[in-house]
Amino acid sequence: MSRRIHPAVVGAQPFQLTARETFDGPIFETAEGKHRLEAALSRYPTKQAALLPMLGFVQSVKGWIEPADMVEVAEALDLTPAYVHSIATFYTMYSKHPVGRHFVQVCTNISCHLNRAEEVLRGFLAETGTREGEISEDGEFTVIEAECLGACGFATVVQVNDRYLEDVTPERVPEIVAGLRGSRDGGSEAGDGA
Amino acid sequence: MSFPHRSDLEVTTRLSRHQGEAEARTLDGWRARGGYEALRRSLDMSPAEITEVVKDSGLRGRGGAGFPTGLKWSFMPKDDGKPHYLCCNADESEPGAFKDREVIRWTPHLLIEGCLIASRAIGAEHAYIYVRGEFFEETQVLNAAVVEAYEAGLAGEGILGSSWSCDVTIHAGAGAYIAGEETGLMNSLMGNRAEPWAKPPFPAQAGAFGMPTTVNNVETLAAVPMILENGADWYRQWGSEQSPGTKLWSCSGHLVRPGNYEFALGLPLSDIIFDACGGTPSGKPVKAVIPGGSSTAFLSGDELDCATTYEGLAEAGSALGTASPIVMDEDTDIVAAMRRIAQFYAHESCGQCVQCREGTSWVVRILQRIEAGDGRPSDIDTLYELCEQMTGRTICVLADSVVFPLESSLDKFRADYEALMKPSLVAAG
Amino acid sequence: MAENGAKATVTLTIDGVEVTVPSGTRVIEAAEHVGVVVPRYCYHPGIPSRPAQCRMCLVEVEGRPKLEPSCTLQAADDMVVNTASDTARTARQSVIEFLLVNHPLDCPICDAAGQCMLQDYAYVTNQLESRVDEPKRIMGRDRISDDILYFADRCVICTRCVRFMRDVAEDDSLIVAQRGDKAYIDTFPGRELDNPFQGNIVDVCPVGALVHEDFVFKARSWDMDATASVCPGCPTGCNVTIDTKENQIVRVKPRHNAAVNSWWMCDYGRNHLVMTNRGVRAEVPLIRDGGGDGDRGDLRPVDWATALDWVAEKIAALGSPGGSAVVSPDASNENLFYVRRLLDRLAVADATFQVEQGETAELPTVPTLKLRADRAANVAGAGIFGGRRVDALRNGAAADGSAGGGSAGRALVVLDDLLEGAPDDFGASAGFFLYVGTRLPGAARNADAVLPIATFAEMDGTFTNFEGRVQRFHQALRPPGLARPGWMVLSRVLARLGDGEAVNDVRTAFERMAAEAPPFAGLTWDGIGLKGAPAAEANR
Repeated sequence: MSRRIHPAVVGAQPFQLTARETFDGPIFETAEGKHRLEAALSRYPTKQAALLPMLGFVQSVKGWIEPADMVEVAEALDLTPAYVHSIATFYTMYSKHPVGRHFVQVCTNISCHLNRAEEVLRGFLAETGTREGEISEDGEFTVIEAECLGACGFATVVQVNDRYLEDVTPERVPEIVAGLRGSRDGGSEAGDGA
Repeated sequence: MSFPHRSDLEVTTRLSRHQGEAEARTLDGWRARGGYEALRRSLDMSPAEITEVVKDSGLRGRGGAGFPTGLKWSFMPKDDGKPHYLCCNADESEPGAFKDREVIRWTPHLLIEGCLIASRAIGAEHAYIYVRGEFFEETQVLNAAVVEAYEAGLAGEGILGSSWSCDVTIHAGAGAYIAGEETGLMNSLMGNRAEPWAKPPFPAQAGAFGMPTTVNNVETLAAVPMILENGADWYRQWGSEQSPGTKLWSCSGHLVRPGNYEFALGLPLSDIIFDACGGTPSGKPVKAVIPGGSSTAFLSGDELDCATTYEGLAEAGSALGTASPIVMDEDTDIVAAMRRIAQFYAHESCGQCVQCREGTSWVVRILQRIEAGDGRPSDIDTLYELCEQMTGRTICVLADSVVFPLESSLDKFRADYEALMKPSLVAAG
Repeated sequence: MAENGAKATVTLTIDGVEVTVPSGTRVIEAAEHVGVVVPRYCYHPGIPSRPAQCRMCLVEVEGRPKLEPSCTLQAADDMVVNTASDTARTARQSVIEFLLVNHPLDCPICDAAGQCMLQDYAYVTNQLESRVDEPKRIMGRDRISDDILYFADRCVICTRCVRFMRDVAEDDSLIVAQRGDKAYIDTFPGRELDNPFQGNIVDVCPVGALVHEDFVFKARSWDMDATASVCPGCPTGCNVTIDTKENQIVRVKPRHNAAVNSWWMCDYGRNHLVMTNRGVRAEVPLIRDGGGDGDRGDLRPVDWATALDWVAEKIAALGSPGGSAVVSPDASNENLFYVRRLLDRLAVADATFQVEQGETAELPTVPTLKLRADRAANVAGAGIFGGRRVDALRNGAAADGSAGGGSAGRALVVLDDLLEGAPDDFGASAGFFLYVGTRLPGAARNADAVLPIATFAEMDGTFTNFEGRVQRFHQALRPPGLARPGWMVLSRVLARLGDGEAVNDVRTAFERMAAEAPPFAGLTWDGIGLKGAPAAEANR
């Protein structure tokens, strides 16, 4: 999985990859981990500033962040595990629990709310047979309600792993879920920008 | 549709003119469109000259507050021997706003160019582009552009063969609306909780990493290259004295053609909603519009003739904000809409100030109760009073942000609230 | 405090009163100069960072459109501050109402009730009714360390505790987790705080969110009596307040003294002080007056008059026998002074003392506050009064055979040392063995007389700290039985021997000491006050 990444963009990788891997040994002793850490540290005047990029890196590989990971990140950046815990719980994109292979986040904020987002959310929960936040029995899905995803003109907006699905109507939900179920990667369809 | 729509209305696509053109994303394509010429020009100018042009253009911050950009840059200390930083605020997360996303994903080089020129103006050695974490695809596009810029000598050491150097780094956020507040953003950049800090110290004194810092919105920085290239007067041909130039409008809600548009500032709001966006899909009248993103005050359907300038919308009792009208047709349940907006602010409160931490969630609970039919007339008084207590008392304006829509919805749609209360109680109240 | 050569002072008006303060002073502190205490939660004078986040200390400043947090607002010339304007009062009242939205209002079972800044301000702002009709958020209780509990629902997220740990103790192990109204104070999951100064987070908590487990449900604040005292845990001499209830120490809190401990104290001292109150005590004077030749008879309880007469008689009969003494480095200056007088009378030159050793701990940002290796309050005092510090006293009782154990025909005086490890025949051969102590250890079994005295917590007195600062402590408890302050007892023995008057109050005892012992020259009981004063440098 080791890739050379330009240091200027090292902290800006997707958080939610479909492939859920684990680290082969301590995170920052892997080639990728070492590279990411060194690259990130070269971009900021303080070590601590690499905290969000490194948490993002862990999440991008594993799909979630557990306490043991926080300890490793803390050690790499000369922070206390408690401090890393404080940061990890402040930001909502760090999953502190495992999620399904398709992590479905349905925006229900105002513009989506005006475009039947609650129905879309209920549709995803019904179609996947889950309650909000839990992993479906087959491990495929976790569905949660999300705050504004910044694509309000394309309501309802649904984020599946690292992809946006736009203009989602309740009627489209069964088809989307079926498509995801069969697919290996996160999004059966990319956003318009891809 | 994600690039700007063409409509019968006169559109002025300056900033967004290359949105929708896939080749504009590449360095070659961008150069073919005249890209990085403004940067080249800026290298022959002194920082003071650049700042002066931007000052003269009257460009105002596009992140919501509308602070004059040139003036903000001029606050940066000169020759103080300290490192300076530029933070580009790409943490676009105001409900209703989705304009910066389009700038980033269609014209990433425009943003990079704007960042570099601004960095030169304020003497920054490093420009950090803080992109909200959810924007994965946008970030990938921007990543590719930054790498291209480095490889072409447009960023990093000795830019365009000059002796001037400036680094550009993309920093991904991780899910926090409050990281869009400038001090919150800098805290987040430094690896802290995105908690705004009480000013002073102001960013230009001690911002990111304790050094003089300027924070500018994506759209603001994206407007800089064209201003530098064409001059302040050129930019001032559009808009009003106090609101010059063109502006991106993110239109959402009950609209036939929602999306991003670019107009000269000053059109009547109704033209944008009806002519450009085609009015409501149901064909029913517009009941309400929140014109500047969810943290601005409601306008009712008969208040839409106001001019879309900073001053015009202020006069109308709302604000231009991020220029993101959220349109609601006649059938809209205003209480539910307001509850949903309040929920957002309660969810995004960082939790430092008491009024915001406790107030936002209390408002949500009251609105939920009213929505469930258990409201009492006294709730409306309570809400009004909470609005007063949550205004201007906190470190940042997140609490105020829920007050603007809440108070205006009570003023203009009181009947909607009362309709959910038991008739006997309303009469008694 | 002048910055960059600017004016040294500024003059402003607060609530109609003009006040001149050093430049750089914040309005909240300037207000205290005119007797106005602006309500506050996140501000604490001992914690450097000022996030201005509780919004409680907002004041109105003429010419400014918004209320300003007085904790960060710098006082400036001609500033007109109004802390009690309608706007400021309403804002304050609303903060209280907001804080009570989710607060459980469990004052009847809360240990902070009666000394709670939320409760107090609710009364002060007349915020006695709530409009909240919604269900409250419920979070529950957590353990922060082995002896500190966190009641999340009571917490006002002022972050004083977090910032004490981070700014003062430089230990980033206590943090705010989550955000918004879900925010709470936490350690890393599965780890507890482990810092020698962590007890201070309970003291800085303005409400009942952080509580020492040892104190939970133990006392209501209005049932406790507070006494100014000094921690006897080590020679630093942190200033403390001892809270007692029904003649028991239930809690110890640091008392501010900028020259010694700032606002803080260590956990060792805190626990040690609570423990000084425990254990079996010597409560009645004992004398051994029954035996004939060869049979020394038994110690028997007597009243004070009998005991003092008998001891004085024995000493008068001995003349100047010489001998040895063991004193305690935990004894007060006054006790040590009177023992010295007695030893001089007996021509005993050699007094030894031993100091228990322990781990040290430093509070990084307060250089004067350190838990020192010496685990005794008055090592300096013991030295001033001629004590000789020895290392091996406890191993075999006699540091040197002639001194420690006593020898025939000579005097042996012990002042409140427990004589741990002393042999069974300790002092058996001494001509006269006087044991003056708070407890009755086995090694006192051969004493000719035992005079029960009060602990430091049961009397008034002074200690001399590691740098020679003489600090007063006051009586927090009633001594048990017939135990009385050492200086009171010994002055009576000496008075019976024609040396001075019997002393009934500590002021007289102290002033007699100050008149006769050069290091204390010039000091007066009142002059020392509650913050202490340095002993004369040249004379130490």
